Amino acid sequence: MAKVEPGMESMLEMYIFETNTLLEQLDEILLRTEDANVFSQEDINEIFRIMHTIKGSSAMMGFENLQHLAHKGEDMFFVIREKPEIAKDAHFVYELIFEVSDLYKAEIEYIQNSGDDDYTPTDFSDTFKKLEEATEKLKAMENGTAPAAEGAVQPAASAAPAGNNVEGSMTVRVFFEDGCKMENLRAFLLLTKIKEEAEVISCTPPDVESNADTAKDIVENGFLVTFKGFDGNNDSVLKTIEGAVNVESYEVIDTPAAPAAEPAPVSAPSPVQAAPAPATPAAPATPAKAEEKAPAAPAAPAPAKSAAKSAVTKAQEDIKKASGGQKQSLISVNLSKLDTLHDIVGEIITTESMVIANPDLEGLELESFSKAARQLRKLTDELQDTVMSIRMVPLAGVFQKMGRIVRDMKIKLNKEAELVLEGETTEVDKSIVDNLNDPLMHLVRNCMDHGIEDDVNVRIAEGKPEKGTVKLSAKHSAGEVIITVSDDGAGINCEKVMEKARKNGLLTKPESEYTTKEIQNMILLPGFSTNDTVTEYSGRGVGMDVVRSNIEQCGGTLTVESEEGKGSSFIIRIPLTLAIVEGMKLKVGSTIFTVPISSIKESLMVANNQLLHDTKQGEMIMIRGVCYPILRLHEKFNMPTEVTNLEDGILLLVDVGGKNVCLFADKLIGEQPVVVKPFPKYLSQYNIKAEGLSGCTVMGDGTISLIIDVNNLIS
Amino acid sequence: MSENYNDKLQELLNTQKAMEDAMKDPQNTVITKVLTFYIDDQVYGIEIPDVIEIIEVPPITAVPGVPSYIKGIINVRSKIVPVVNIRSRFGKEEIPFNDRTCIIIVSTGDVSVGLIVDSVADVIPVTEQHISKTPELTGVNSNKFIKSILEMNDGIKLVLDVSKLIDEHASEENK
Repeated sequence: MAKVEPGMESMLEMYIFETNTLLEQLDEILLRTEDANVFSQEDINEIFRIMHTIKGSSAMMGFENLQHLAHKGEDMFFVIREKPEIAKDAHFVYELIFEVSDLYKAEIEYIQNSGDDDYTPTDFSDTFKKLEEATEKLKAMENGTAPAAEGAVQPAASAAPAGNNVEGSMTVRVFFEDGCKMENLRAFLLLTKIKEEAEVISCTPPDVESNADTAKDIVENGFLVTFKGFDGNNDSVLKTIEGAVNVESYEVIDTPAAPAAEPAPVSAPSPVQAAPAPATPAAPATPAKAEEKAPAAPAAPAPAKSAAKSAVTKAQEDIKKASGGQKQSLISVNLSKLDTLHDIVGEIITTESMVIANPDLEGLELESFSKAARQLRKLTDELQDTVMSIRMVPLAGVFQKMGRIVRDMKIKLNKEAELVLEGETTEVDKSIVDNLNDPLMHLVRNCMDHGIEDDVNVRIAEGKPEKGTVKLSAKHSAGEVIITVSDDGAGINCEKVMEKARKNGLLTKPESEYTTKEIQNMILLPGFSTNDTVTEYSGRGVGMDVVRSNIEQCGGTLTVESEEGKGSSFIIRIPLTLAIVEGMKLKVGSTIFTVPISSIKESLMVANNQLLHDTKQGEMIMIRGVCYPILRLHEKFNMPTEVTNLEDGILLLVDVGGKNVCLFADKLIGEQPVVVKPFPKYLSQYNIKAEGLSGCTVMGDGTISLIIDVNNLIS
Repeated sequence: MSENYNDKLQELLNTQKAMEDAMKDPQNTVITKVLTFYIDDQVYGIEIPDVIEIIEVPPITAVPGVPSYIKGIINVRSKIVPVVNIRSRFGKEEIPFNDRTCIIIVSTGDVSVGLIVDSVADVIPVTEQHISKTPELTGVNSNKFIKSILEMNDGIKLVLDVSKLIDEHASEENK
């Protein structure tokens, strides 16, 4: 079976994106309401809106199973909407909706990944049944708790057919654009929209949602809907209709004007009741009748009509004004286009240096040229900043997904815990955010599974609150983003780690030589898990080293800090931007190195009398009363150079994560923004990164400079 | 005049016929073309599909922590390409670069590598009859990079297996 109807393929990507976004929103609302243990009217409306949109778009794409799934979910919430209190403590509702949300995600992933012909819709009948049961259960609860309410609903419902006579109501006939297809569903979506603002008293044909045959009637006779604005204002509803998708035109056909002219709304089963009779699908006839009725309508129909018309004109003007005033200010762009833009900007910066630092210009006094060059540099800087900022997205999206994981695990593991988010507005490059999802998920799971104590009594005995806390925080610090996943659980048991390492043969030196920090970091080694049994969430021993390699892939580092009994923290440091860094160029022999400016504290010339030698003949220098070790780059990288006397060269004091060291180079060349390029694939088999080089860059004259990664250089 | 012309025509026709005959013989079908180059006096070859381009030796940036036969990295139109000195890869002594020294950029899969050679010679068509099978001489180090041996009129040429040359693990020195 073909996945989607021909002609719909282009819509598929949009559908997938939109539905995924909606599902995330749904999860978020559910998490919030579950915590608060109450549905506000707003939340329920929002959930309805999401379900409707999913239902509508699934139907449009022809995914019937998904459409029905949303429909059943809606049914359940319909009951809840009538009486939100019944959902209190009804955890099965959340379970079920989360399940539905997961099924959706799985199905959409399946749709996305399956070929055009090997897609078969998944059968959700089990879930349908569950949803139906839950709906029944809720209904029973509703009846149990509030029979009066049920009673009240009944007469209201029976009064509905008498709709046209309800005080202040308005009947509108809507025509959809020619050939927009599935008019019944569009009518239904429109109905939903109207419902947000008004009470819908009746509509013709009545069963647009379930009966696809009504589409034809709607094409021929239009879609007739009678409604009454919540605040008595029908104009806003007209505006909604006007603004709805695919609505070609509409006309107001009946506006009962004076309340006095109306029969008593509920009590009188007036002759009109028979006319719109929604039960009979005599649709072609019904609107006709309604139309006939319009002129015959009580009191002063003509003025009322014209009044309504002028209201409509006014509404249209308003809409024009509104649409002119506030165009949508967000667009979604394909990431690959941004990547290309980013690459081009990188090339421009390189080329710019090529022009400005061109050897042909050496020694020339070019006042106007350098002025123009400065101007150009300023603009390219701005361009680069803008491109970077386009790619920056807040971490909130990734963080909020973790809420779901904590919730699920809380229930499965029967632990009390809450997730605290901090600094989720911190922005990082989109490519990094994508790479962070899996590592964070692993870490949060680990915190829940290994971190938070199994037994609440242990926590109480330790003087900790019964409810555990998993904290996700993010902050910027000197060109890096630091993301911390921490818990206030048991912490890492060093003895257990040691024992496990011994058993798995992971020890590389005598046990007594290991420091606490080293032992803690052993849990990041491949094949390590202290959990005694394999659970659904962790214990397979593949987690942490995968996390580490994922993070290292995007240029970051992962460290562990833990205090037994107090909890543990996993700290991820990731460079803010991957591709372009502001660098200082150093010359060592014939090689040019680039050191990221963010890690340089100062550069200095030394006199020999400032030098100290330790017992192993290591060189050190005393600066303002602090002693720093000296690292000679030419020795470290084994590069021949003539400058070996410290007095002839230059020292560069660098600082990474509190560790300081002085790098010795022949001379400084200057600052330049550089585009970081990875080493060629062929060289990846040698561990160049461990040597302290993070990549290379092409300089203005076409030669290559090696970029020093100070962190790895020191350690 | 016309006789002379006829002679010429006959001659041309004969050559063409000879060429056609040669084409019909499967032994003479051109299978591939090979770029040949010199290391000392020995001629080596690389099959043309593996070759991207031939360039002069640009400034080479040395990279620490790699085997000595990897001379470093070069910039080929904004692409960073590692370079291997074929001489030291084959265990020969390195000689200073001269103006005949050049770099052949080869690629297999998505890996590109530059090979420093003494000088390039020619591009030659190879037919079935030129190829003699590689002798199975295990333990001879230089043999493992050889794909085939060509016996041409002007001498023996060794065609290199680029993927083995690039793939370090397959060509790890026998220790």
